[in-house]
Amino acid sequence: MNVKEYLKPTTIEEAYEIGQMPGSIYVSGGLMVAQLKVSRIEHLIDLKSTGLAGIEDSKKEIKIEANTKISSLLFNDTVSHIYDHFFQDSLKEIGSVQIRNMATVGGSIAFKLGWSDITTIFMTVDSDVEIYDGSFKRIPLEKYVSEKHRGSIITALYIPKKNGLVAFEKFSRSIFDIATLNLGLKFVLDEDFVKEAKIIVGSRPMISERIPEVENFLIGKKPMDALDDAGKLIEKTVKVGTDIRASADYRKALAGALLKKAMRRIYDEG
Amino acid sequence: MSKIFTEAQFSVVNRSIQKVDGKALVEGKPVFTDDFEIPGALIVKILRSPHAHALIKSIDTSEASKLKGVACVLTYKDVPHTIYTRAGQGYPEPSPYDAFVLDRKVRYVGDAVAIIAAESEQIAEEAMKIIKVEYEVLPAIIDYEHAMDENAPVIHDEPEISGAYDSKHNIASHYEMKLGDVDMELAKCDYVVEGTYYTPNQSHAMMEPHGALSYFDPNGRLTVITSTQVPFHARRILKRIFGVNCRVIKPRIGGGFGGKQAILVEPYVVAVTLKTRKPAKCIYTREETMTASNTRHAMRFNVRVGATKDGKLQVMDLRGLSNTGAYGEHSLTVFMVAGSKTLPLYNKIKAVRFVGDIVYSNTEPAGAFRGYGAPQGLFGLDSALDELAHKMGIDPIEFKLKNSIREGETSPIFRIMGEGREGVEQIIKSCKIEECAIEGAKQFRWYEKRKLPRIDKKKKIAHGYGVAFAMQGSSIPAIDMGGATIKMNDDGTFNLLIGATDLGTGSDTILAQIAAEVLHTTVSKIIVYSSDTDMTPFDKGAYASSTTYVSGNAVKHAAEKMTFEIIKAAAEILKKPVDTLKLDDDSVISDDGERINFSDIQTQLFYTFNQRQLEVTESFVSEVSPPPYLVSFAEVEIDLETGKVKVIDFLNYIDCGVTINPVLARGQVEGASAQAIGMALFEDHIFDKNGRIVTNDFFTYKIPARGDIMKIEVKFAESYEPTGPFGAKSVSEIGMDTPGPAIANAIFDAIGVRMKRLPIKSEDLFFEIRKKGLDG
Amino acid sequence: MKVEFKVDEKIHSVEIEPGEMLIETLRRLGYKGVKHACSTASCGSCSVQLDGKAVLSCTTFTAAVDGHDIKTVEAFSANGLSPIQEALLEEGGSQCGFCIPGFVVTAENLLEENPDPTEKEILDYLKGNLCRCTGYESQTRAVLKAAKERRTK
Repeated sequence: MNVKEYLKPTTIEEAYEIGQMPGSIYVSGGLMVAQLKVSRIEHLIDLKSTGLAGIEDSKKEIKIEANTKISSLLFNDTVSHIYDHFFQDSLKEIGSVQIRNMATVGGSIAFKLGWSDITTIFMTVDSDVEIYDGSFKRIPLEKYVSEKHRGSIITALYIPKKNGLVAFEKFSRSIFDIATLNLGLKFVLDEDFVKEAKIIVGSRPMISERIPEVENFLIGKKPMDALDDAGKLIEKTVKVGTDIRASADYRKALAGALLKKAMRRIYDEG
Repeated sequence: MSKIFTEAQFSVVNRSIQKVDGKALVEGKPVFTDDFEIPGALIVKILRSPHAHALIKSIDTSEASKLKGVACVLTYKDVPHTIYTRAGQGYPEPSPYDAFVLDRKVRYVGDAVAIIAAESEQIAEEAMKIIKVEYEVLPAIIDYEHAMDENAPVIHDEPEISGAYDSKHNIASHYEMKLGDVDMELAKCDYVVEGTYYTPNQSHAMMEPHGALSYFDPNGRLTVITSTQVPFHARRILKRIFGVNCRVIKPRIGGGFGGKQAILVEPYVVAVTLKTRKPAKCIYTREETMTASNTRHAMRFNVRVGATKDGKLQVMDLRGLSNTGAYGEHSLTVFMVAGSKTLPLYNKIKAVRFVGDIVYSNTEPAGAFRGYGAPQGLFGLDSALDELAHKMGIDPIEFKLKNSIREGETSPIFRIMGEGREGVEQIIKSCKIEECAIEGAKQFRWYEKRKLPRIDKKKKIAHGYGVAFAMQGSSIPAIDMGGATIKMNDDGTFNLLIGATDLGTGSDTILAQIAAEVLHTTVSKIIVYSSDTDMTPFDKGAYASSTTYVSGNAVKHAAEKMTFEIIKAAAEILKKPVDTLKLDDDSVISDDGERINFSDIQTQLFYTFNQRQLEVTESFVSEVSPPPYLVSFAEVEIDLETGKVKVIDFLNYIDCGVTINPVLARGQVEGASAQAIGMALFEDHIFDKNGRIVTNDFFTYKIPARGDIMKIEVKFAESYEPTGPFGAKSVSEIGMDTPGPAIANAIFDAIGVRMKRLPIKSEDLFFEIRKKGLDG
Repeated sequence: MKVEFKVDEKIHSVEIEPGEMLIETLRRLGYKGVKHACSTASCGSCSVQLDGKAVLSCTTFTAAVDGHDIKTVEAFSANGLSPIQEALLEEGGSQCGFCIPGFVVTAENLLEENPDPTEKEILDYLKGNLCRCTGYESQTRAVLKAAKERRTK
């Protein structure tokens, strides 16, 4: 790549300051930046040199610092047990061993690429994202992905402690491909009835998004009774597009299929 | 007379000897083209056309040439205007001469516009950006089904073109044959099936990209190291283009599958070396390998088959259209093989017709690709036969077996259809298709499985079971020749010099086994040196399922001649009659037990006795092309909610004669199955409206990954081909033929949906499932 | 810029371009076992171990490995062939051999982490290592065999 200088700031503040100069790009795992089709980068700012790769468990939430590798998450006891084996199962769907050894949590979210499984997975479990844009701010991930945060740096993610039942489903053409569509589902049940629901659909191919119509539809219902209707409803309501991987019509059908699979998975495992 | 050899009768052949080049490969040694470093080598990059069809109105290279570190920038004005075919085939090639190194006209997105040579890749790329090209954009043909439309633009209007069938109408080649009256016979049939089937422009996707390196050796001989399957054809074509003799060296090759049976990169580096007198290296990027090399010919076949109610197949009628893309390499021959390597399988028919056009379009050129047309032809034919059997209420195995060829039989098609010309008559001397079908069905538990329920409504999945029958050939008879030289050394080793081109298949190893078997020695004593046009005898190259059969026979003949020479020398040394001597365990022994080893013989011949080195060269051309046979069984699992198909079991039962090396033969079949599963389910190129391939890397063009291939089994029928070396026939291509139809047949068996277009994408299948109401 | 790192136990101090990828640096230093096949993090041929973990050298900036430890395929046959390399030869798991260096590097990681992997675990762990020749079957057999060999060693 055509890069003028590769910089290794040691603090977030310093990184941010350099990042405000024209032609600057932050790099963490490197996978995304290496694929950028830009003719010239003036300042490539390595965020790994700021540290920020720890995982902290406070009583009410888990803090995952932005430079944490996906593979570190997979092997982390705290994370891997928070929602039973949800994280282990879903993180294994991402890329390959090599990619998980390189990609960081922050990098997987910061580029706001539609096909990020990490974005869908973390939105499903109600994560907040902490960014630095001159000061530290904490915002829901769901909000972050829909806003512009040019020049800011993701410093951490927060996952609240377990609250409900979750499932993640991914459909891809080959087993080693990005998602044609992915879907995260969270239920809080009251007896057998849905009290709270969260449905996130990603790789639409646009960035992950909540589907409130179907969430509302499911509230107060027994999931397995509402399965087919929920599938039909999400096909109608989900906003999807066409790209080389699939047509919009097929993505709608996949949203229905993955929602039903996720609901069955929660039922089977719950 | 055919006899079955058992393992005990061979000591080297039919054993799984480790690959002779294996150790270097698993250690990651620098053995591939890009690993060779020649000091001062210029890096060569190609400026490529952004338009599918255009004339270069003007091209200004002055600024680029002035850039520091740029050695030269060549355009069509700077290279010989010699027309040729990029196809690496026997001469005279049956492919049209329709290509130039660089031309004023560009015919697909990716066609070469200029050659840039610089001291570094970065400088070459910078220079590329500042070449100013003005194009006159012409209307283009992106969809080959419209290539022959009225008013379609003419892609090859150059006056120099020769060998094309009708270039004014974009027809590179045309072929037709018929036997009997298909319409009349179809009218007499009780059951007729008709359908139109499509196969895609699959990419070879070999892991090593194309690349070549050229330089003048200390004596001023132009030398080209290149990742090629056809070093001798490359040398001949380079001579044609540049008028210069050269030496072509083939190092280890990182996969070819037919993609490297074309002259692609070599002319670019040679042009630079001739211009600058400096070494030059050009290694394609993955994107270039994907978009600017070659692909499988996409084909459309309209198939009609008919049978009478006694279960006899009476008619096969195939009308095809093949896309050769911007250039016509392998156009005629690949199309003919779609018929010549499929139709003779069913030799009891009353009428057969095979006809079609191979058209130019403004897409990446098509070329040779494992199976060479047979997978395209068989997909339609076998799918139609499966449907015919279903219509008749007969099990497809029984139907296909009843109508297929047997030992001692022939097919008139062998004589009618060759490659680019008439074929040769042949009586089939080895055909174990009955064993393949019957034993295969047992192992697969075909009949038990076909009684199981197919659709599981609770799990939302369906299972289906399909079968496909295939044949291929072993070499292009009466055309392709291979040679071998064997030289004995005073340490008892032999140099085996062969032009045969190991591209990962293991041919160096199996040829060494053949030599060792004849010479009563071990593979460790055979020093293989392959593919160097200055050092090894001629060989046509690695294609047409011919290396084991043709080059193997050449090696066997050379080794037999060497045996004779050794015995003659031993007879002189030992003063015994020749007919009392034979080879045994690296030695010659006499009837009365006297023994002299190879090392002693050659040492004496070097220094003390009737001095000479024992050295022989033999070559081989076959009169026939004995087909291997394959019956493949597929079990698929279909997710009814998504249309996703998993091939959960794929059993190949194959008759390839004696396997010279069972582990390597198995690997050929497994690899071909996986590549064909890729074509059947995954591999799909997408073009944008300007004709640019959007699926131009491994991120967008998905070849099967590890977990996508679930289970491939390979069983070998006991078979012996009397004309093959130690009973062997070919094995490397045939596995490519069956997965497409077997999977499509299995999907039909599962849910009653007949998919007639490969790849069978989940999306397309899903909407068929939904139409039938099976998705919910 | 200047960086220093260890490759196969040897320390290199090299001048690099700021945007240089590790694969370029390693091949320039003569580590030709690192294979360039895709450039899009999609095939695994360029895999090396970075601090003991398999990564893709085509998408790793050399500047980022300053002070780190790299292992290429060559490290695993420094004292004769490793069990994985032996098993690949026995099972025919290396045909053209171009994907093999990356495969060996990753498979070594697998067997370090999981000395007794199931077939499913092998397919899963090595899914980022494409091979166009073998259909993967012989490579799976090779890993199972090598695992057994390593366990009994």
